[in-house]
Amino acid sequence: MKTILSCLLALLFAANIFAADVTSDFSAANKLYAEGKFAEANAAYENMLQTGAPSPALLFNHGNAAFKSGHIGKAIAAYRRAELLSPRDAELRANLAFVRNQVQGTTLRESRWQSWGNALTLNEGTLVTAIFFWLTIGLLVARQLRPALVPKLKTATKIFAALTVVAGAALAVQAMNHFDSSGAVVTTTETSARSGPFDEAQSAFTVRDGAELTVLDRHDDWVQVANGAGKIGWLNKKQLEILPGA
Amino acid sequence: MRFTFKTLRLLLIGLLLAGSAGAASFTATLDRDSLTMGESATLALTFEGGSPSSVPTLNVPGLQITQVGNSQNYSFINGAISSTVTVSFFVKPQRDGEFTIPALTAEIAGQQLATEPLKLTVGKVAAPSPDAVNSGSEVAFLKLNFPKPKMFTGESTVMRLELYLRDEVQNFGNFQFTSANPDGFSVGKSVELPNQRRRAQIGNRIYTMIPYSVALTAVKTGAYPLGPFTANLVIVLPGGVFGEQRQVALATETMNVETLPLPTENRPANFNGAIGDFTMTATAGPTAVTLGDPVTVRVQISGHGSMDTITLPPQETWREFKTYPPTAKLETSDPFGQRGRKSFEQIVSPLNADVHELPALTFSFFNPDEGKYHTLTQAAVPLTVRTAETSPLPVLAAKKNSTPETASPPDILPIKEKLGELAITSVPLLARPLFLAAQAVPLLALLAAFVWRKRTDSLANNPRLRRQRAVAQLVRAGVADLKKLATENKSDEFFALLFRLLQEQLGERLDCPATAITENVIDENAKLRSAPTAVRDGLRELFQLCNQARYAPVRGTSELNSVTAKFEKTSAELREVKA
Repeated sequence: MKTILSCLLALLFAANIFAADVTSDFSAANKLYAEGKFAEANAAYENMLQTGAPSPALLFNHGNAAFKSGHIGKAIAAYRRAELLSPRDAELRANLAFVRNQVQGTTLRESRWQSWGNALTLNEGTLVTAIFFWLTIGLLVARQLRPALVPKLKTATKIFAALTVVAGAALAVQAMNHFDSSGAVVTTTETSARSGPFDEAQSAFTVRDGAELTVLDRHDDWVQVANGAGKIGWLNKKQLEILPGA
Repeated sequence: MRFTFKTLRLLLIGLLLAGSAGAASFTATLDRDSLTMGESATLALTFEGGSPSSVPTLNVPGLQITQVGNSQNYSFINGAISSTVTVSFFVKPQRDGEFTIPALTAEIAGQQLATEPLKLTVGKVAAPSPDAVNSGSEVAFLKLNFPKPKMFTGESTVMRLELYLRDEVQNFGNFQFTSANPDGFSVGKSVELPNQRRRAQIGNRIYTMIPYSVALTAVKTGAYPLGPFTANLVIVLPGGVFGEQRQVALATETMNVETLPLPTENRPANFNGAIGDFTMTATAGPTAVTLGDPVTVRVQISGHGSMDTITLPPQETWREFKTYPPTAKLETSDPFGQRGRKSFEQIVSPLNADVHELPALTFSFFNPDEGKYHTLTQAAVPLTVRTAETSPLPVLAAKKNSTPETASPPDILPIKEKLGELAITSVPLLARPLFLAAQAVPLLALLAAFVWRKRTDSLANNPRLRRQRAVAQLVRAGVADLKKLATENKSDEFFALLFRLLQEQLGERLDCPATAITENVIDENAKLRSAPTAVRDGLRELFQLCNQARYAPVRGTSELNSVTAKFEKTSAELREVKA
C-alpha cells in the first residue's frame, strides 16, 4: 500500500514538473514572438510540438509564428491541427480564414457543409449521436412498456429519430474523413505536381505555398493529391504536410 | 578436347598480334571535303596493325565533332593476318569557312604514328536564284513569306516559310531549321500548318508546298535583314530498292524589315509594354466586406499579341487599398502563344471604412496595326466596408489591439498567452470496442421490451391460456399451503383446499367452471374418459379422500404429506391430458 502511494506521488510530482517545463517553454516562445523574432518563435513552438503533446493554444501560436515567418502552408497546417482540437475557437477560425486568403492559385475551399460538420470534434459528434440514439431507443422502449403513452410520445420519438439519423449521417461523413481520407497543405514556395511518382514525370499542375489538397494515394515518398480544380498529380512528401483526419 | 580448342585460340591470337605488329598504320579520312552549312561529314580514324593505346582528342573551333562509333576487322590474306580498328566521328560545321583538321598522333603496338592534316570547306547556304526556281530545276527550295516591312519594337507576329518539294521527291524527313536568331529579332516556335499542303506548278514542274508558321518578335529598333532562314532535310528520290536518300540544305532569300520604336506621343501613364489588340473584363467580390477582409479582383485580358509578356499594371487609384501581387494564368488558342486570354487574380483589402468603391481598373496597350495606344477601363465597383465592431472576427482584433484600425493594416489575431490543456492523443470513441458494445444495450432493451409486449398482448387475447397460467400459479401456491397445513396437522382445512385445487385444475383442463366439478365428472366427461387410467384412478382416489375426511377421524402429518405428493403427481399427469 505504501509503495503504491509512493509511486502515485512520484508520478504526480513528475507530471507537475513536466507541466511547469512546457509552460515555461511556451512563455519563452511567446516572448520571442512578442519581440518580433518570428522565425525563432516558430522554431520554439515547433520544437515543443515535436517533443510533447499539443494544445490548441500551442498550435494556434505556432500557426501565427509560421505565418509571420512567411510560411503560409505551415501556418495553415498548424491552424487546421488546432481546429481538430478546438473547432469552435473564433480567433482560430479568423486567423485560418485570413491566412487562407493569402494563398495564391488554386486551393481547396471548405464548403458550408464541411464547415458545419467540423464544428464538433469527432468525439463530440460521437457523443451527440449516441445521446440522440439512446433517447430515441428509450422512447421506443417506453412505448412498448406503456402502450398508453404512445400518443404522447409519438412526436418526441419522431423528432429524436430524425435527429439521430441526421447526427448519424454527419458522424459517418466525419468518421470517413477521419479514418479514410486526409488533407494536405503545400509547404514549399511553388512546385509542380508530377503526373507520376518520380522526379522525371511531366508536370501536371503547379501548386503554391499554402494550397490545400486532398490526399488520394501514397507511394513510397510520393503522395497523390487532387487540387481544388480536380487536377490530380504527385508531390514528394517533403513538399507538403499531411494532416490528420478531421 | 576443351584444352585443345583453348590452346588453338590462344595460338591464333598470338599469330594475329605477331602478324600485325610489323605493319602498323594510322590514317584519317573525311567522306567529303566540302559542305554547305547544315550538312555534315563523317571523319574516320583507321588504325591498322593493332589497337591504339588511346583515341586522339579532336577539337577544331567552328566544327562540332562527335564520336559516333567504332568497328574492328580481322583479315587473313595470303597467310598474313591483319587487324583494322576504325573510329567514326560526326562532323557538323557551326559556321562557314575553311577548316583544317590537324595531324593526329596515336601509339599503336609501341609505335608513334601520325595522320596527314585534312581540309574541309564549308560554304554558305544560298537561296537559289529566281530563274533557277522558276525554271523548276531545284529539287527543293525554301521561301520566306513575310509581307510586313515594318514592325514595332516588342511586336510579335507570325511569319510563313514555305518548303517546296519537286514531284519526284518520294518522301522527306528530319526537317529542321538551322539558322540562328537573326539580329534584331527573336524567332520562336515553328509549326507546320495543318491541312494546308498544296500542289503548285512552277515552270514546267509540279511541286508540293508545305507551309510552316514561325513566331517572330522584333526586339531591336532599326533596319535589320530578316533571313536567310536555313533548314536541313533528307529527301528520298527514285533509285535503288528503297530510293536514294539525299541530305539537302536550304536557305531563303533575305528581306529588309524596319523596326520602329513605340511612339512616345499619347503614351498612357500606365502603359507597361502590352502590344497587340486586346479586350478586358473584370469582376471584384465580395462587395460587402469587413475592414481588412480581402476583395478578389479577377481580370481577363483576351486578344492577340505578346500574351506572355502582359502584366497587370499597378493601379494608381487604388491608394486606399492594400494590394497583393496578382497571380496570372495564360490560356492560348494558337501554338505560338500569341492568341488567347490571360486571367489575373489580385487580392486587395480596403485600408479604411470610408472606402465606398474599388476605383476603375485601367489597362493600356499599343495596337501595332493601327499604330496607336488604347486604354481599356473597367468601371468602379461599389463596395460596402463595415467597421470592425460590426462583425465577429475583427471584434476579437479590436479587443486585443488598442491601436486604431485605420492605422494598422489587417493582420492575424495575436497569439494566446495561456497554454491551455494539453491534448492527450487517444483512440476516438468511435473506434473503442467498449463504447461500440455499449450501443447494443439500448437495442437489447428495446428487443426485450418488444418481446414482453408481444407476450402480454398474446396473453390478453387468449383467456384459456390466461386461465391455464392462473391455475398453474394457484396450484403452485396451493401445494405450498397444503404442505404447511399438513405440517400443522389441520386436516379439515387441508382437504378443503385439496378439493378446491382439484376443482380448479380439472375445471381448467375441461374448460368448465371449477364449482361445477365433482367426482362424477371423471366418468362422465369424454376428455377424462380418454385420459390414462392412472390419472383417472389418481383423481378418483383424491376425491374419495376428500369425501372421507368429512367423516373420518383426524389424520397425521405424514399421511397428509403423502396425500400432497399424490396430488402433485396426479396434477402433473393431468396437465399432460389434452385440454
